[in-house]
Amino acid sequence: MITRKEIHSYLSREPQFDDITCSLKAISRQPKGIMNETKKVIAMARKFSDEVLRPYALEMDRTMQMTPDYLPWDLVKKANEWGFFTLWIPKIFGGHGYSIPTLSYFMEETGSVCLGLSNLICVHYLAVSTIFGSWNLKMINTICRYVAEGERTGIPCLLSTAITEPGAGTDVEDVELVDHANVACHAKKVDGGYLINGSKVFISSGHVSTWHMVICYTDLENPSSNMIILPVKTGTKGFSFGRVEHKMGVKICPASELVFDNCFVPDDWVLCGPEDGARTKRGAKGTNAQVLDYVLSSSRAGVGAWGAGAARGAFETALDFAMKTEVNGKLLVNHEWAQSMLAEMYKNVSIARLAYVESNYANGLYGMFKSIQVKPVYYYLKFLPKSLADKIAGPILNLYQSTWLFRKIHLDWQKDEEFHRTAGWGSLAKFSGTDLGMKNCHMALDMMGQAGLRHDHRAEKMFRDSKLLQIYEGTNQLNRLNMFKCMVARNYPQVKVFEKEQ
Amino acid sequence: MDSTKKELGLLAKAASEFAKKQLAPDREANDQYPFGPFFGSVLQKAFEVDFFHVLLPESMNGMNQGMSALSVVLESICQEDSSLGGIIFTTTAAQELILAAGSYSQLETISKAETISDFLIALPVFNNPSEVKHMVQYKKSGDDYVLSGNLDYVVLGGLAGHALIPANSPGSTKYAYFLVDLHQNGITKSEPVLSLGLHACPAVDIAMNNVKGVLIGEEHKGSECFQRMSDRMHAASASMSLGIMKGSFREALDYARKREQGGQTIINWSEVKMLLSNMAIKIANAEMILESACKSIDLKESRWEARSRAAALHIQDMASELTTDGIQVLGGVGYMKDFGQEKRFRDAKQVQSLLGITPVKKISFIENMI
Ligand SMILES: Cc1cc2nc3c(=O)[nH]c(=O)nc-3n(C[C@H](O)[C@H](O)[C@H](O)COP(=O)(O)OP(=O)(O)OC[C@H]3O[C@@H](n4cnc5c(N)ncnc54)[C@H](O)[C@@H]3O)c2cc1C
Repeated sequence: MITRKEIHSYLSREPQFDDITCSLKAISRQPKGIMNETKKVIAMARKFSDEVLRPYALEMDRTMQMTPDYLPWDLVKKANEWGFFTLWIPKIFGGHGYSIPTLSYFMEETGSVCLGLSNLICVHYLAVSTIFGSWNLKMINTICRYVAEGERTGIPCLLSTAITEPGAGTDVEDVELVDHANVACHAKKVDGGYLINGSKVFISSGHVSTWHMVICYTDLENPSSNMIILPVKTGTKGFSFGRVEHKMGVKICPASELVFDNCFVPDDWVLCGPEDGARTKRGAKGTNAQVLDYVLSSSRAGVGAWGAGAARGAFETALDFAMKTEVNGKLLVNHEWAQSMLAEMYKNVSIARLAYVESNYANGLYGMFKSIQVKPVYYYLKFLPKSLADKIAGPILNLYQSTWLFRKIHLDWQKDEEFHRTAGWGSLAKFSGTDLGMKNCHMALDMMGQAGLRHDHRAEKMFRDSKLLQIYEGTNQLNRLNMFKCMVARNYPQVKVFEKEQ
Repeated sequence: MDSTKKELGLLAKAASEFAKKQLAPDREANDQYPFGPFFGSVLQKAFEVDFFHVLLPESMNGMNQGMSALSVVLESICQEDSSLGGIIFTTTAAQELILAAGSYSQLETISKAETISDFLIALPVFNNPSEVKHMVQYKKSGDDYVLSGNLDYVVLGGLAGHALIPANSPGSTKYAYFLVDLHQNGITKSEPVLSLGLHACPAVDIAMNNVKGVLIGEEHKGSECFQRMSDRMHAASASMSLGIMKGSFREALDYARKREQGGQTIINWSEVKMLLSNMAIKIANAEMILESACKSIDLKESRWEARSRAAALHIQDMASELTTDGIQVLGGVGYMKDFGQEKRFRDAKQVQSLLGITPVKKISFIENMI
């Protein structure tokens, strides 16, 4: 009826079978343990929401409106006590080793209650994925173990990622744009290391972080091939904090300016640089694109999960209001139009969730989590006693050969279509989830009228918080173009994305 | 016709100059309220130049102008800072309510007040009292009325000398409005309610314990008065939205002309052009709709009430969409307080809730037609 060749040919047609069936393919390969972990993480997130987020969120947001420069150290400490800064760090690097896709569920859960606090906890993992994206196992091991140490000592060790500059925001998110960008954060090669000069802006959790993964350039004229990721520790000479931004929402998570003035970073600490890129199959520019895509494909799925969280928070707040409030003589929830609006909101939550889950599956099959979600590796890491992980894995990870092998697997052996797929799904999850989040916040305020405008009813905070999701990790406009580039344009040589227009 | 246009032009110019001079420079600081100082001196100046007197009859020291005039004033003010617009809107809505109830003498006294605080009238202007369960009840005590109960979100309740309070008698679902002197004993006010937008147009929750109120209009007729006021004031709320839209567009356009990404000013990216174009199209349409609605109101054309309401419902939807894009064009800085876009985004949503719950306003629109 149909030959093998025909099947292959039909399935490679757009939309390609592999693009549209990530979940189908992933589920059969997924270790069973992930289900239980997911249950546990969701339950833990709900417990944390009840015990910490709900009681603190509004008061904290109010405090930040009153004193915008306030830094939420107490909440950072609390999250550290709960173990949230190491929960998703693999055991071999000193963490608790929960599988990374479960982080998205955590983000949806906590984001539905307070996006600010959820950001404060989870942007730390943007930096974790930045370190992982470099596939420099020695540095991953070093920095992650500082984080674990912070949990043990009770002195939190948070991480931030710094790529945005005053003159370059959208531009630094894509190697095709960065060569035209006004980048100014320069890493100059000196004896034994690099000197960083310049500044970074809007860096989430900057002021409360101990390590900052600074993405800068050794050649400002040709940044796409000269990207370098340097970890900078708070307190290092030549590094200081600038202003804390006064934002509309997500107030609990500070956005900081980082200032570098001849800040020295030793060679040993370089996460990845132009020389590493030159050693890989795709060369420096292609590898930099890959590294950025690894990071952004997983972090954008996370922002999509926050979008689902925002959508859900708005839905739950509106539902609660509709259950308790009489409008025109009957409960709001018993008006047919209100039921229809609530159904629409429920749908928006579900669609947002489906998108980030699919993006996670893509990352598990082809991207960031690929090697740790293979069943033998997964179970090995899960059941490996912590003491053994520390004793045996540590020295192995510090070997140059380990980094070489992981870079081979993740950089050289990753096919173009694979990173297109993960990047495409990351962007899709990000812009669809966050647009739906914003949509639900509008609908909640529409339904609640005067009550929704009050800070003490929560909906207005969600509305303010949710808007950020459409901006960072690349604006939704940039993410639409990126998705188009990765999922559509790749097959058409005549299509040019980011081409200057006359 | 031409002279009216000229008059409106002059009024718009005056309001616009006032807004640029008095409001724009301190927008961020004024928005800090209730955690920063209140812009009392600006309010006083707005009072002195008669922005609160646009619809009042001449006999009450008013300008005796129509909705078109109020609309240009509100639009110009809200381009810079809609909090002052909210104060003008609330007081004017209260004046309209009193006029709709025929209680001229009450308004006459207030309108001749020497101080701004005695002149302002607080009103729960985000609520259509018919939609909600009444928490304030009145009873008759001799010739007087006495009110008890709680009322949420009374706009200007912390600033004004008087408030218009909707209340019903025990056992009745119909309500009436009462003018209440807010200085009397038995009134407890909350701190200003922290809100989404219009921070410097604050509301308070009020608890009343046997306070004296003067009946406005007739008992049980509050709903009719609200409807009449609301029919007209919908257009005024639309003009606030239009002002916010224009402010947002102007800032987005200015920024897009200066900001460079990808080696060119972002206005040259057609994606950004599309955002700006959608904003401009919304504004052009909103201008036409509003102008026509105001004219209908002023000329009492047939179905002017529906036109006023339709204008507001549509323009406010557009304003919500537009102000989101207004932030988006600025990227990260659009989310920051240093620029005006985040405030406009919040204010647009707040203004959308004026005069009642949006979907209920939409349902009433069709119910009034069928
Ligand atoms: C609260 C907050 C927290 C943040 N946290 C972090 C963080 O932790 N680390 C970090 O590095 N960064 C962070 N960011 C920065 C964020 O990622 C950037 O703001 C975002 O990428 C947009 O960049 P920009 O602000 O410079 O906007 P711009 O790039 O200036 O964009 C302005 C507008 O132009 C459009 N545009 C630009 N280029 C193009 C193009 N080529 N084609 C079409 N349209 C275009 C954009 O879509 C946007 O509409 C944060 C931002 C905020 C607001």
